[in-house]
Amino acid sequence: MSPSATSVTPAMLAQVVVSGLLAGALYAVVALGLALIFGVMRVINIAHGTLLMLGAYVTFWWFHLTGLNPYLSLLASMPLLFLLGLGLQRFLVARVVGAPELSSLLLTFGISIALVNATQLAFTSDLRSVEYLTGSWLLGPLAVSKSRAIAGVVALLLTGLAYGGLRTTRLGKAIRATSERREVAMVCGVDVAKIDLVTFGVASALAAAGGTLVAVMVAIQPEMGQGYTVKSFLVIVLGGAGNYPGALLGGLLLGLVEQLAALFLTAQVSEAVAYVLLVVVLLVRPQGLLGGRST
Amino acid sequence: MRRAALALLALVLLGLALYPRVASGYGIRFMLQCFMWIALAQSWNLVSGLTGYVSFGHVAFFGTGAYTAGVLIARHGWPWALACLAGGVGAAGLALLIGYPCLRLRGPYFAIAMLGLNEVMRVCVSYFEGVTGGGLGLSLPTLQASLAIYYAMGLTGALVTLAAHLVVTSRFGLRLMTIREDETAAEALGIPTARYKLAAFLLSAAGPGVVGGLFARDQGYIEPISVFPLATTITMIVMALFGGKGTVWGPVVGAVALFGLEELVWARFLFLHQLLFGAIIVGVVLFVPQGLVGLLRDRFRLPRYV
Repeated sequence: MSPSATSVTPAMLAQVVVSGLLAGALYAVVALGLALIFGVMRVINIAHGTLLMLGAYVTFWWFHLTGLNPYLSLLASMPLLFLLGLGLQRFLVARVVGAPELSSLLLTFGISIALVNATQLAFTSDLRSVEYLTGSWLLGPLAVSKSRAIAGVVALLLTGLAYGGLRTTRLGKAIRATSERREVAMVCGVDVAKIDLVTFGVASALAAAGGTLVAVMVAIQPEMGQGYTVKSFLVIVLGGAGNYPGALLGGLLLGLVEQLAALFLTAQVSEAVAYVLLVVVLLVRPQGLLGGRST
Repeated sequence: MRRAALALLALVLLGLALYPRVASGYGIRFMLQCFMWIALAQSWNLVSGLTGYVSFGHVAFFGTGAYTAGVLIARHGWPWALACLAGGVGAAGLALLIGYPCLRLRGPYFAIAMLGLNEVMRVCVSYFEGVTGGGLGLSLPTLQASLAIYYAMGLTGALVTLAAHLVVTSRFGLRLMTIREDETAAEALGIPTARYKLAAFLLSAAGPGVVGGLFARDQGYIEPISVFPLATTITMIVMALFGGKGTVWGPVVGAVALFGLEELVWARFLFLHQLLFGAIIVGVVLFVPQGLVGLLRDRFRLPRYV
C-alpha cells in the first residue's frame, strides 16, 4: 500500500522531486523530437514512440552482441534512427505535409503499426532487458537509481545541445524560421523540403536517444512505444505546441506529477494521472503553460 | 436504379434473417463477427470519416460497453438486451466526458486523447476490482442465446448503417462534412462546430458500447485485456479506410472484405496480419484516400447516399 499523506517525510518528498526531475528530463528529450516535427511540418508523429522502441532494441543488441557499455550505443542508435527518419520522411511523410491532419495522423499510425509488427516478427514479443548499472547511489538520505540518474543527466545534456543548435547554428535558425512561418522562410531562400527532412531525422535521433536511455531502465518489448507517444504529446501540450523551451518545462513537470502521484496514490494510477492532466490542461489552458509559439 | 438497389438490399437482409435456419454453428459465428465489425467500422466512420477528427481509441467504448453490460448482468441480474443498451449509454457517457474538452479544440488533441484513453480505461477497470473483478475478469451466468445474439448484432450493424445513411443525407451530415473540409469556414457559416462534433462523437460511441455488451454476453467471460485491445481499434480503422471513409457503404464493404479475407486467407499468416494492416493504412492514405467505395463513386458518379 502507498503511505498515507500524514506519513510522508521531507526526505521522501525530496526523493520524489529528484526522481521526478530525472524522469522528466528523459520525457523532455523525447518530446522535443515530437515538438520539432509538429512545429516544422504541423504533423503529429504517432510513430514517435515506435522510433524510441527501435532505439531501445539497437541498444539491446549492441549490449547483447558486443558487451560494451550500453550508453556508448548512442553512437549507433542515434545515427541509425536518423537515417530511418530520413527515409520515412523522404518516401512517406513528405507526401502528407500540408495535407489535412487526418492524412498525417493515419499515415504515421500505419507506419507505427507496421514497424511494431516487423519488430515482433524479427525479435519476438519477449521482454528483453539490459542488465547494466543496477543499484543506486546514496546521497545522504536520498537513494538515486544509477541508470535513472545517468538517463536524466544525458537527456538534459542532449536537450541542451539541441537547444544550442536551434539557437546558434544556421540550420537551427532555418528550422525555427520554417516553424515560425513556412511560406516566408521559403521566400527567404530556405529549402523547406530539406528542413523537413533534417527535422524528421533529428527528431528520430532524439527518440532513439530516449530509447537507449530507457533500455537500461525498463523491460524492452515491441509495444513499449505507444505510452511515450502519448506522454510526449502531453509534454508539448503542457509546454505549448511549437514552443521548444516549453518542451523541457513540460517534461520536468510531467515527471514530477507522475512521481508525486505514485507517492500519494499507487504506481498503477500514476499512469492514468498523466492522462487526467492532459484533459485538465486542455480544458483550462489549451495554449500551454508558457503560452503561444516562441522559439 | 435506386429501386433495384433497394430491392437488392431487402433481399440481402431477408437472406441474412433466414440464414440461421440453414447455417452451421460456424456459419452463424462467422456472420455474427462480420456484423460486429460492420457496426464497429461504421461507428468509427460516423465521427472520423465525416468530421475528419480521427479517433485512435474507439475500442475504449467497446470495452466500456462490455463492462457496463457485464456488471449489470452478472451483479444486478438485468436482462441482457437491456444491459447491452445500457452499455451503449455508458459508452456515450464516456464520450461526453472525453469529447467535451478535446473537441472544443482543433487539430490532433482529440486524436492523442483517444490514443491514451484505451490504456486509462484498462487501468481503471483493473483498479476498481470490487466492481469489475479486476484482472481476474468477470464471468457472466451461462445462457444459450447465440441465435438471439446473432439477430441483435445484425440489428445493431443495420441500425448503425441506417444512422450513417440518415446522417450523410441530412443537413446535419452536410455540416459535419463542412467541418471536415474547412472548420474555419464552417464556423463563419454559423455552424456551432463544437456541438456538432460532440453530437457525432456521442452517436459514434453508442454503437460500439452496445456491440461490446453483446460481445460480453456472447463470450460469457470478459477481462481487461480481452475487451480493450489496441488491435480492435486498428481493425476498425483499416476496414473503414479500405472501404472508404465518409461514405455510407464503405465501412460495410471494408468490414466484409477484410474480415472475410482474414478468416479465409490470413488466419494462416497470423504473424503478418498487423504488418499488412499497417501497410494497408499507409497505402490507402497515400494512394486511394477515398477508399474502394469512394473510388467507385468518383468513377461512376454515384450519388452521395452510397
